[in-house]
Amino acid sequence: MIDGCAGGQGPEPLRCDDARYAAALACLGAGPKRLREFLDDLGPEEAWGALGAGRHRADPRGEYRAKVRDALVDQVTRACEMSRVSVLVRGSSGYPRDLVEDHEAPAVLFARGDASCCNGRSRVSIVGTRSATPYGLGVASELGAGLAEAGVVVVSGLAAGIDTAAHSGALGARGAPALGVLGTAHDTSRPRSQAFLARDLASHGAVVSEIPPGTAGSPAWWFVVRNRVMAALAHVVVVVECHAKGGALHTVKAAACRGVAVAAVPGSVRSAASAGTNALLVDGAAPVRDTGDVLSLLELEIAALPGISRPQPRQGSGARPRKGGRRQAPNPVAAKVLRALDHDPASLDTVVRRCGLSLGETALALEQLADAEQAVIERGWWSRPRS
Amino acid sequence: MIASISSAILHGVEGRPVSVEVHASEQGLPGFMIVGLPDAAVRESRDRVRAALLSSGFEWPQRRMTVNLAPSGIKKGGVWLDLPMAVGVLVASEQLPVRCANGKAFVGELGLDGALRQVPGIVPLAAVLSDRDVVVPSSCAAEAALVAGGKIRAASGLAELVEALQERTPWDKVVHGERAAPLPQLDLSDVRGQLAGRRALEVAAAGEHHLLLVGPPGSGKTMLATRLPGLLPPLGPKEALEVMQAWSAAGLRVPGGGFPERPPFRAPHHGATEVALVGGGTAWLRPGEVSLSHCGVLFLDELGEFPATVLDSLRQPLEEGVVHVSRARSSADLPARFLLIGAMNPCPCGEGSVAGACRCSDRDRARYTRRLSGPLLDRFDLAVSLSRPDVEDLVTGSPGEPSEAAAERVSFARLEAAARGVRCNSELPMSSLEELVPLTPEAAALLERRLRSGVLSARGFHRLRRVARTIADLDRAGPVVGERQVAESLSLREARATLLVEART
Repeated sequence: MIDGCAGGQGPEPLRCDDARYAAALACLGAGPKRLREFLDDLGPEEAWGALGAGRHRADPRGEYRAKVRDALVDQVTRACEMSRVSVLVRGSSGYPRDLVEDHEAPAVLFARGDASCCNGRSRVSIVGTRSATPYGLGVASELGAGLAEAGVVVVSGLAAGIDTAAHSGALGARGAPALGVLGTAHDTSRPRSQAFLARDLASHGAVVSEIPPGTAGSPAWWFVVRNRVMAALAHVVVVVECHAKGGALHTVKAAACRGVAVAAVPGSVRSAASAGTNALLVDGAAPVRDTGDVLSLLELEIAALPGISRPQPRQGSGARPRKGGRRQAPNPVAAKVLRALDHDPASLDTVVRRCGLSLGETALALEQLADAEQAVIERGWWSRPRS
Repeated sequence: MIASISSAILHGVEGRPVSVEVHASEQGLPGFMIVGLPDAAVRESRDRVRAALLSSGFEWPQRRMTVNLAPSGIKKGGVWLDLPMAVGVLVASEQLPVRCANGKAFVGELGLDGALRQVPGIVPLAAVLSDRDVVVPSSCAAEAALVAGGKIRAASGLAELVEALQERTPWDKVVHGERAAPLPQLDLSDVRGQLAGRRALEVAAAGEHHLLLVGPPGSGKTMLATRLPGLLPPLGPKEALEVMQAWSAAGLRVPGGGFPERPPFRAPHHGATEVALVGGGTAWLRPGEVSLSHCGVLFLDELGEFPATVLDSLRQPLEEGVVHVSRARSSADLPARFLLIGAMNPCPCGEGSVAGACRCSDRDRARYTRRLSGPLLDRFDLAVSLSRPDVEDLVTGSPGEPSEAAAERVSFARLEAAARGVRCNSELPMSSLEELVPLTPEAAALLERRLRSGVLSARGFHRLRRVARTIADLDRAGPVVGERQVAESLSLREARATLLVEART
């Protein structure tokens, strides 16, 4: 096993040759499995030399020989330094401890922030669709915040939609660190709007990727292999919203073959974005209504694991939202409009039809309810605020 | 001998007088030359004029003929000058006495058999020549008579025309243009449900606030938009003339013939180019769709499919009501005061407003909404989300309110606006908003809260007050604008949020 010397926090991440050569090996374009074979018995520098000479056991036909150029080492070193990325070789000190023994663990990880922050903590992956509904985004963000507050590391994929909502929730709670797993290189991550989120994550947790910095492109299979890392890192995988054939199901599959518990948030049977999650529930996934459900599931999962700190649920966070004490609407008309609202977003037209008032009266009542925080408008759709 | 014949050519939506001078000389080789910056179409008229004269039984003079088109500095295009050239040749070759052409102007295209053919732009041409008798082809005499009254002389062929000029036979009878027979209008009672959409349409018609409809396919965007002309007040005589001019200049006939009664409605396909939309072109500066919808409605369906540059070319006409079309050789001001209705899907697949049904990637969605630049989006005072109507509404629902009732409220609101000295509330000057749109304390407080929370920008604030004024006028709520009207105006622009959020990702 290689004892890499990249700590993770240092501004000069690539001090030792092992890390430099490991990074260069990752640039050869081999799949994750082949890359592990390259590094199985040899150190990075030896493996590099053996490949260059065409003598590596894992490359009997010398396919990679032509690709081994010493300029590549300097090139990737510079790219890593430019984007402040440290190179973590499997088993080195900064490498996430619980990932080392996974049968598909990445041989090399490129990390921003401190990837070892998740050692010794319970971890939950929150995954889901990119085209989420306001319902899904809200639940993901609540789960992210609730879990982070309870000291759970939230792992997600930095994609748009559910991933972003979960991460934003977790970061907003200022609780446990959070971990992002990219499916692209650090400096070419898509979409660009995620760059800010990635920066925040790196300062309060870590962002890791298997793809060396400076590698362009984002083929679909990168995201599929990324999903196995999320599954391998998690004690529980929570699917928030997912279409019938959504990409999040790759994570579910990877979790299932590792024996990681899968939970799903139920959704409306009419919503296409919940078709995948509802199907998971039918197949026996644990239902998740709130943070409390995830925490009880987590409790069972980590009971047998030594050295994992127990989550600290906030007082009352496991309970269902309290009924009773419902606030009064500002006036009788507003009360009528409030009765016409529910948690599913509705267009103004629908609200008008449901409550049978004129457009002007309904609009006024909705504005009053919005001021009293009893109604919210998101993207032009009205609903009740989440309790 | 020299003949000088009055005529005119089209430039934008206006006529420009042109004098066609023909000189017949005994000296030099026989021939026919046109000078004075003719374009290809005008040069071709030499052959048409020659054939038309010969087949109408006249002689083609065996002299050197020089035609000059004065003023010679401007380029002349189009087919209007065939007839004046033929008359000029007849006068110069002394086959027609000079006095017959005096005090008259001629406009028309010739066929090889001497027939007079219809030409585009007869309305502005007749208007500019109306200080004399204008001889035009019979087929467009009725249109010309709308602006030049009894001074129109019509003929259907060159031979008859010469006879009539010499007062041997009477001119063709000109049917004096009347107002067009009202065409059947689409009625709002066909629209089931869609309360917000109907209301937005009414507010748009009353205050001429530009309206954006956002909704999935099948939610009735086009259905609503096509019913807007039925809500607008009928055209006044001045407006009808302006519409006639623009349509005639584009070579189009107003549906029904005669003066248009209803505001025009234009719905160009999203493949339209910038020139097709704002006007331009090489032959003469042809008015575009914005000018054809002058005093009426321009409906842009599938707004997200129009190229961004084409949409942005609308910004200036929307602001000023006029398009300045400038080309290297010439420029023209074309009228373009129209009510803009845009319709678009919430995202490329169109299902974005149904929970979870949309599978567009963020990039596709951003690209789709980015077509609509911020400044153009700002011009839409009203933006409404539509959803597909309920099945019950379609099957058993009672018909909606007819257009007539809504049109009545609209015309009342227009009267209120006229009392403030403007045509409609969207034209209220910023300086008098405080005075003309007084707010109740509750309404002011509501607006202040929305301004503070960033829902409303400073520009949006002023636009919203005009909309609130229109709503108060429609409701006959009196001079002071209340909280309800303000809340309604806020609700009628909520779809903006959908597009703005998408555009930012």
